[in-house]
Amino acid sequence: MDQFRPRDEQDPVREIERGFESAKRWMEKMFRGKGAWLIVLIVVLGYLLSGFYRVGPGEKGVVLLFGKVWAITESGPRYRLPRPFMDHAIVDVAQVRRAEIGYRSSGRHTKTLPAEALMLTGDENIVDVQLLVQYEVQDPVKFLFGTHQPELALRTAAEVALRGIVGENTIDFTMTKGRMEVQQQVGVYLQKLLDAYNTGLKITQSRLLAVDPPAKVKDAFHDVVRAWEDRERLIREAEGYREDVVPKARGRAQEEIRKAEAFKAQRVIRAEGDAQRFKEILAAYSKAPPVTRERLYLETMEKVLPKVRKVVVEGSGSPVLPLLPLGKWGDLETKPPAAGEKETEK
Amino acid sequence: MGKFIVGLIVVVLVLSQTAFVINEMEQALVLQIGDPKRVIRDPGLYFKIPLVQQLLVFEKRILPADARPAEYITLDKKRLTVDSVSRWKIADPLLFYRTVRDYRGATARLFDIISGRLRQEIANHLFQDFIREERESIMAEVTRGTREGAKKFGIEVVDVRIKRVDLPEEVQASVFARMRAERERMAKRYRAEGDEKAREIRANADKEAQIILAQAYKTSQALRGEGDAEATSIYAQAFSQDSDFYSFSRHLELYEKVFDPGTTILLRPGSDLLRFLESPNPVGKQK
Repeated sequence: MDQFRPRDEQDPVREIERGFESAKRWMEKMFRGKGAWLIVLIVVLGYLLSGFYRVGPGEKGVVLLFGKVWAITESGPRYRLPRPFMDHAIVDVAQVRRAEIGYRSSGRHTKTLPAEALMLTGDENIVDVQLLVQYEVQDPVKFLFGTHQPELALRTAAEVALRGIVGENTIDFTMTKGRMEVQQQVGVYLQKLLDAYNTGLKITQSRLLAVDPPAKVKDAFHDVVRAWEDRERLIREAEGYREDVVPKARGRAQEEIRKAEAFKAQRVIRAEGDAQRFKEILAAYSKAPPVTRERLYLETMEKVLPKVRKVVVEGSGSPVLPLLPLGKWGDLETKPPAAGEKETEK
Repeated sequence: MGKFIVGLIVVVLVLSQTAFVINEMEQALVLQIGDPKRVIRDPGLYFKIPLVQQLLVFEKRILPADARPAEYITLDKKRLTVDSVSRWKIADPLLFYRTVRDYRGATARLFDIISGRLRQEIANHLFQDFIREERESIMAEVTRGTREGAKKFGIEVVDVRIKRVDLPEEVQASVFARMRAERERMAKRYRAEGDEKAREIRANADKEAQIILAQAYKTSQALRGEGDAEATSIYAQAFSQDSDFYSFSRHLELYEKVFDPGTTILLRPGSDLLRFLESPNPVGKQK
């Protein structure tokens, strides 16, 4: 307890003076009078040197004089007045920054975030969208002083833009033919928001990486694709059938027409031949008709009669009916008749 | 020497209490024993009376107010979870300090105003309109209302936007069911369309083939007819030169062909053919 008791009852001002006194004595001892100035010089020099800073390649330095933007400096070693007179901030304007909406990638691995990726479409469907936004700092002053946490603001704005545009369109439009248009509109909308927030950020690319149906209904969507394939297949098959049937029919038609043409030609030519033959014979015949007529008749009979069975019946116009041996003829049918054989019935 | 150093320290100490820098992203309020005395809007170097006056620094940049998602009901009684986000800045630090004091107070007030406005606007619109065509105009309306309401807190609202619109869990399930049904319908339609088109193509092909064949038949019949006609006229022209002789010679030809070994011919001895059978000089029968 005793050690906390004041040593004496002297007033505090004298105590401080005594402290300075001893410090002065100590310094005099150390630097023999001139050393004190040296220390002051070093301190002042060190203070002035604290104004050096470096702007890296692709970076811009924003120099403030009493908090007001005074200059923007390019890359290289730079000097400004020390604080609190001047201050600086360095912004990387060359770096392409990226914001991922609906998923997060780390290295090669990507992880989807359903809460962020699932959104309502204009026709009250739900779609799974992943958006990649690439951007850079265009205006370092706005970037620093325009909005609080500009990159966080960009993330939020990107979600606003994406959901806004997707919400204006149908699921089929966004998933298929309108994908490019949606992507482009999101970029435009997002840039508009970023400008309104004075972020100083510029979108270099906004790309829809995936526009998919939600996992729960994926199979139904895939079946639609399969159904479309089925449809195309059925049509192709039918077209194949047509390719098969029609040429074959054409071939058969050609065949039939050629046959008919052949028939016609053959018919005419044969007729001409027959006619020619008749004319020839007629010409010869007309030189001596009775004799030729007789000759032709007899020649024909000569040819005809040897092949057939001949029955000579006596007495033309006689009232007696000839008796035909029917049964006997039946037996004889198989035997070829002997040439010149004659049967006489009476 | 010692006095110089002491003097310097004193000067720095006094300056640090009186002089201050307001930078580009800040604005400030100078309070004199808790009473606002001066508003500083622009960056620069400023002075105040030490000890008696205090400095209150506020953000001049645009600030976010990211509300927690809340449920709303549309005109057609559908429930929606809406996550809105607002951007604002302190337009009047003095009014801001007097009414809401700090950021937390400000965002709490903003959320009240926004959710009130949203509730009112959403309740006046159909679900379909809200998620589709009129979202922009509805949000413009909410922004306008919020801007008006926030003015008295020294806050300037830049905008109010909808970050997310979600359906409650059980509604989501029915949306999925509907989406599935819709896709199934599409799949069926495609398959049926495929069938329809295929049948049409096949039927057309069959028709085409039938027509081709029929036309060929028609052409060939005509050709055959022509052939027959031409042959007939050739025959007629030739044979009519002597029809009697034609008839005679044609009959002879016919006999030759017609009579085969199975034929029996009855001949009378008195006939022209056998007239010499019984006598070398038959009477009256010679022509």
